[in-house]
Amino acid sequence: MKRILYLFRQHPLAVVGILVLLLWIFAALFGPSLMPFTYSQMDTDYQMTGPGEGGHFLGTDALGRDILTRILQGSRSILTVALLTSLFSTLAGVILGFSAGYFGGRVDALFLRIMDILMAIPPLVLAMVILGILGDSTIVSLTIMVSIAYIPATARVARGALLTCKNYEYVDAARIMGQSNFSIMFVEILPNTIGPIIVEATARFAYSIMMVASLGFLGVGLQPPTPDWGMMVIENKSIMMNAPWAVLYPALAIASLVIAISLFSDFVSKVLIHES
Amino acid sequence: MKKLLVVLTAVLLLSGTMSLGAGGQAPEEEKIILREASQVPGLIFPPVWDGQTLSLNASIYDFLVELEHGTGALVPSLAKEWSTPDGKVWTLKLREGVKFHDGSDFTSEDVRYTLELTQDPDVGHLKKADFEVVERIETPDDYTVVLYLAEVSPTFIYQLTDYHMCMLSSEYDYASKGEMEPMGTGPFVLKQMVPKESALLVKNEDYWNPGLPKVDELRIYFVPDIDASVSMLEAGKVDVCPFINAIHKRNLEDKGFKIVSPYQDYRFIAMAADRDPFDDNRVRLAMKYCMDPEMLAAACQAELGKDVYYNEGPIQSIMAQYYDIPFRGRDIDKAKSLLAEAGYPDGLTVELYYGSDHPYGQELAQTLKELSAPAGFDLDLKGYTRDVYLAQYWMNGPMLLTGWGPRVDPSMLLKLAYRSDGPWNESHMNDPQIDALIDKITMEVDDVQRQRYYDELQIAFHERGTVINFQVPFFVAMRQEVMDYRQPPTFMNQYEYAYLEE
Amino acid sequence: MSFLRKVLQRLGFMIITLVAMSLLIFFLVEIMPGDVAQMVLGQSVTPEALKALRESMGLNDPFYLRYLRWFAGLLRGDLGESLYMRGVAINLILWRKVFHSVILALTAVLFYVPLSIFFGVLAGVRSGKLTDSVISFFGLATMALPEFVSGVLLITLFSVVLKALPITSVIPIGETIWGNLDILVLPAFSVTIVMFGYVSRMQRSSMIQVMSSDYIRAAELKGLPRAYVIFRHALKNALLPTITIIGMNMGWLFGGLIVVETLFGYPGLGSLTMTAIKTRDVPLIEACVLFITFIFVISTFITDLLYGLLNPRIRFAGAEK
Repeated sequence: MKRILYLFRQHPLAVVGILVLLLWIFAALFGPSLMPFTYSQMDTDYQMTGPGEGGHFLGTDALGRDILTRILQGSRSILTVALLTSLFSTLAGVILGFSAGYFGGRVDALFLRIMDILMAIPPLVLAMVILGILGDSTIVSLTIMVSIAYIPATARVARGALLTCKNYEYVDAARIMGQSNFSIMFVEILPNTIGPIIVEATARFAYSIMMVASLGFLGVGLQPPTPDWGMMVIENKSIMMNAPWAVLYPALAIASLVIAISLFSDFVSKVLIHES
Repeated sequence: MKKLLVVLTAVLLLSGTMSLGAGGQAPEEEKIILREASQVPGLIFPPVWDGQTLSLNASIYDFLVELEHGTGALVPSLAKEWSTPDGKVWTLKLREGVKFHDGSDFTSEDVRYTLELTQDPDVGHLKKADFEVVERIETPDDYTVVLYLAEVSPTFIYQLTDYHMCMLSSEYDYASKGEMEPMGTGPFVLKQMVPKESALLVKNEDYWNPGLPKVDELRIYFVPDIDASVSMLEAGKVDVCPFINAIHKRNLEDKGFKIVSPYQDYRFIAMAADRDPFDDNRVRLAMKYCMDPEMLAAACQAELGKDVYYNEGPIQSIMAQYYDIPFRGRDIDKAKSLLAEAGYPDGLTVELYYGSDHPYGQELAQTLKELSAPAGFDLDLKGYTRDVYLAQYWMNGPMLLTGWGPRVDPSMLLKLAYRSDGPWNESHMNDPQIDALIDKITMEVDDVQRQRYYDELQIAFHERGTVINFQVPFFVAMRQEVMDYRQPPTFMNQYEYAYLEE
Repeated sequence: MSFLRKVLQRLGFMIITLVAMSLLIFFLVEIMPGDVAQMVLGQSVTPEALKALRESMGLNDPFYLRYLRWFAGLLRGDLGESLYMRGVAINLILWRKVFHSVILALTAVLFYVPLSIFFGVLAGVRSGKLTDSVISFFGLATMALPEFVSGVLLITLFSVVLKALPITSVIPIGETIWGNLDILVLPAFSVTIVMFGYVSRMQRSSMIQVMSSDYIRAAELKGLPRAYVIFRHALKNALLPTITIIGMNMGWLFGGLIVVETLFGYPGLGSLTMTAIKTRDVPLIEACVLFITFIFVISTFITDLLYGLLNPRIRFAGAEK
């Protein structure tokens, strides 16, 4: 505990990042219910009006919808998808990466080749092709798409982490004792490699936000009127000269979330990795 | 060696700066050039074309008859005159001395070719259904065409104003050259086309209409992004920019540009009458009682009664056949009680399918959702890109929002979309009385009587129809110097009349 | 000897990746709903018209036949014809846009490489001090930022508030890019902001590593001036890993252009890809995606090659990196 406080004092920026992240989580959970407007409500007396007018803190968009409420509502889906993606891709990555690293030989070689090919594919383009043709996205399809894009990265990290532990004595000991491969991997090795894996998971969290926002921007976000931060940017781009706040604030929301998580991820990496 | 390098560099720099300069030069002064920023073109072979870059086909080809800009009246073009004693046999007299761009004469043979093409299975002609009624075509001489129809069709002549019915040359190989080297009789000749970028058309010196066109060149730039087109207009790089939205209109008017609104686009909100929940007219009425035309207009950033119109029938308000029924008024309580009567006291969920990339699609869909929510309708919005929407959901959903093209003669639309056996009956309307009225309208030779049927039809639609018709704005922005811009409800711009006043 | 073998191995891998990618795209478009014929014909279409158009586009042939036909064309250097703009050779459309994207990419590189290296070196040299903290923060903050976000912020500042630069990057046709160079500034800068983070951090850590090496310490102890030490000795060695990163990121840069070009309306490969996807124009999608993948893969390949050449230790070791 004292260590953590010490670290906080050492890295004040990280604290800011964590606070911002917590703020967004709070906003996602409670924000929309605290607002006087709903995210799809059309206030036709105040279309494209600036921040402050008519009780709209951040202004309204072309249809008269309150931007702040839409940002708060949108934070739910983006955080959900990003969180699920980082969990899912880490889980899948650990299973795949551990298996490859543990069993070695042909399995490992095959794994590396496939991962190399997958990593050579620009993820955004691939996701765009798939989702662009499907037409719209749901939380599930977005999670799956983005996870698939990031599994090669997490799998590699997991594999690397396992390889560092593979030759330690306790592994040999466990094997001699007759423990099953599965148990060796996940009961013995996993706890010792959890550091880099968690760091990778937090990094994935940040990149997932980026990917989901970009996909929304490219037009394959969630079905309207559900707010999607990326889609809010592209939808309102045409009125940018008249109502820049409709584009600026969603962009700032994305930026603040991404930066906060990046700071958080950096902090976690300093804590967990530079420790051992 | 070093010296050579210096000289080479100097030469390169020099040529570089020269080309830079050349790029910024204005076009030659003698020619009068009209420039338009338009959407990305699709096909320009008229039979299979679906409304991309209107000005291309409109300028390269001609029609037998056209509609007059502003009045909508039928005027002769390649057909000098036409007559029918009974609505079944049509005799057309063609204009003489008209030549295609390659010099060949326009004769009745070309008319026959163009009409027979509609039935050609290899072409996939979009007007095939409309021209199936033509049983026989006779060409007694080079400038007379006689059409024998299978049934009485007093307004058949209007079919020939349709944008697919440009006159094609019977001697030309459209199959291989139709896209890139079109052959027509129109006021402009396509000189050069850079795919997906631009088209250059020059004045047809032998155009049959003396004094036209008034400009020497027509340059069309294909710009997929409307904001980019508007920037080009503001920067003085183009003269005309169609398809702007109401926000652009506001900004451009402030900057001193001219905005014209030649016609509106239809947006039909169809409620499927063959399935839940809209098979019950009370539910349809409930939805109608939720409507607020002012709010719909606000969503489109436009003014009700000026740029946008609302009615509950399939006939546009600017048409002569329109019968004005005052709006019933928004009444949520009435809507709720109707729903309760129909068996939905606690409201219901309905899917609304629409094309998400179609102009005004998103705005209208979301407004409909907001408007109908207080009465208990929970509209589940399902927006898909146009191709997916048309391939999978159109004609198949309980509630649809679709954009329709113009039918200069409303009876054409009625037959296609509202007769119970119509091929595009998206709302699956099946009302014998309405079927009977549609039949009477199409057969009636007397104009006054026909109008009475139209009135009756529209009243019936108001009472139990399956459609809400919202007419969305179509704006064209241009520099003040552009004069006499014409675009009749056929969508076909008539650039032959336009000129620049310096 | 082993170096040559590695080169060939990588080459082979590259080809396999591209073929796999092309197959994947073909397959995906195949199983997805919506099709280009419908896209072309729009609403007024009759089922017969649709069938006729599909037939003429060759869409009714079985999947493997279409793929092989396309692949055979590819081997001949013929990318085929666009389905949406019928009869128009893709070669006519594609290479002009690629050229534009290359110019944008190079401009971005021109901006971000010197900037990142400079600030990375600065941060590394003043490690632990305030300068370092500020630079590192910027680097970290912008790393995962989507390009359109940085783009929007730039547009707001330079186009909306200052009205100094154009809000969209369109080339008025009839003109070339050379007469409209101002449209490059904002898009290139948006990319720069995002790439900066990655490269400057790399440069910083490599600089720190090099600065603490014995050889540099020896030079300092000899009494050589600090600036001299940095520029003549440390920088050379610190640059190598950074070059690697820059090379590998070229592919990523290209992939990210789809977002930047969409935001600014810049007529490059990215916007072409978007249009192709929107219109379900399979041959065009294939051409665009393959090209982007190609850049992705080849930049890694060339970087590996350069790294091997520049770093003799790797070249002769033959060990897996």
